[in-house]
Amino acid sequence: MASYQADQLKEQGNAAFRNGEYLEAEALYTQAVQRHSRNPLIYTNRANVRLKLQQWDGVVNDCSKSIEITGANAQNHKAWYFLAQGQLGLHHPNEALTSALTAYDQVLHPQPTAKISPKDLETFSAFVLKCKKAKFSARDLERLRRQGDLRAELESMLETQRQRDLDEVTTQLHRSQLGNIEASERSQEISTTLDDKITSLRTVFAAADPANHKAREVPDYVIDMITFEPMHDPVMTKNGHSYERATIYEHLKRSPTDPLTRDPLTIRDLRPNFGLRAACEAFWDSGASEWIADWS
Amino acid sequence: MAGMSGKRLQKELAKIQGVLPPGISLVSAEDLREWQMDLIVPDNPIYPPDEKYRLRFHFSTNYPIEAPEVVFMLLSTPERKIPMHPHIYSNGIICLDLLDKQGWSPVHNVESVCISIQSMLASNTKAERPPGDAEFVRSNRSRPRDINFLYHDPTV
Repeated sequence: MASYQADQLKEQGNAAFRNGEYLEAEALYTQAVQRHSRNPLIYTNRANVRLKLQQWDGVVNDCSKSIEITGANAQNHKAWYFLAQGQLGLHHPNEALTSALTAYDQVLHPQPTAKISPKDLETFSAFVLKCKKAKFSARDLERLRRQGDLRAELESMLETQRQRDLDEVTTQLHRSQLGNIEASERSQEISTTLDDKITSLRTVFAAADPANHKAREVPDYVIDMITFEPMHDPVMTKNGHSYERATIYEHLKRSPTDPLTRDPLTIRDLRPNFGLRAACEAFWDSGASEWIADWS
Repeated sequence: MAGMSGKRLQKELAKIQGVLPPGISLVSAEDLREWQMDLIVPDNPIYPPDEKYRLRFHFSTNYPIEAPEVVFMLLSTPERKIPMHPHIYSNGIICLDLLDKQGWSPVHNVESVCISIQSMLASNTKAERPPGDAEFVRSNRSRPRDINFLYHDPTV
């Protein structure tokens, strides 16, 4: 009985969602959850409406609950996909990438009963790329921040040393171990030396700062020839050319031919290209965001 | 902008604003959906070297999975004529296999389409319209990609 009422409320929630009445839909799903809390779909649907309302914490909770009910290894690609979006909303790009990859994997290798919509693979693949960009740009920002902290710390140590050396000269002057002219020459020398050190320090840090690097060309081999985006799951055709899996699938749906040679080609002819995949990973690791400043 | 077309077009535009092959130039792409390109045809007496031809590209949200619609434009200022060619109708519609559903491939791009059209003009020896041009121009209401052309002359 409780589960029947919950289903009714869920249907009403779905109708409200379709009409764009998100607050209304969220309230209906919440009532449904209170009636019957073991239906993972209610949580997934509420997560979807909470995405629209940008309630990221709520999204993450609902998806986690949905995944907990079905089991972490069970087909639940929508929950994983919404979870990834919630985590990205909360600025947790690492977690978001892991969730997005799980969603992508579940759509690529679905269980026989799974309901997959035709655009899922393309959508999830694009979202994996988005998470990657977020992850690596966050990492670079963090590195810059830490580099900035380190520079400030070193500069303040040099300043302390300058002060100590100058104090030493003053002390010697007061004890008449140094004459006025000699003391002023010493002070001058100390300041010049320290200024030089600080200049060198800044030069070294500036050289290590990716923002000061000239824009580099993104290597062609990581770029999918169809979307012009970097690849993360490249597959190879019979002629040896590689494409991002989701985009070549999209092309083959329309025309079962090799894009370059027009020879017959189907999904079954494609092979994963693990070597290129590793090379793409290495590209991201090498500080991809500095190459792709205009890519996001 | 839905689909993959937006990002892909932005990147193509960025690339095209750098270098283009000789005789091909970008005129406008204010709207990512519609670009205009000018062509000059080298070394062919049919097409004077100071005459430019204007191409209009129209992209659907499914570009590059779907072909762009590409036609020649007739303009008075600046003057742009429709080039004479046995595969180009006087209303600007081009009959070229790479632009139709079967012939298109997503690895093509604006630059490669321009090069193909340029070389199709460069190698042309007949200053004439396709057979039945007047009738086609009068009666055609379909968009170029929905027309089933007969490729009666595969050598061009």
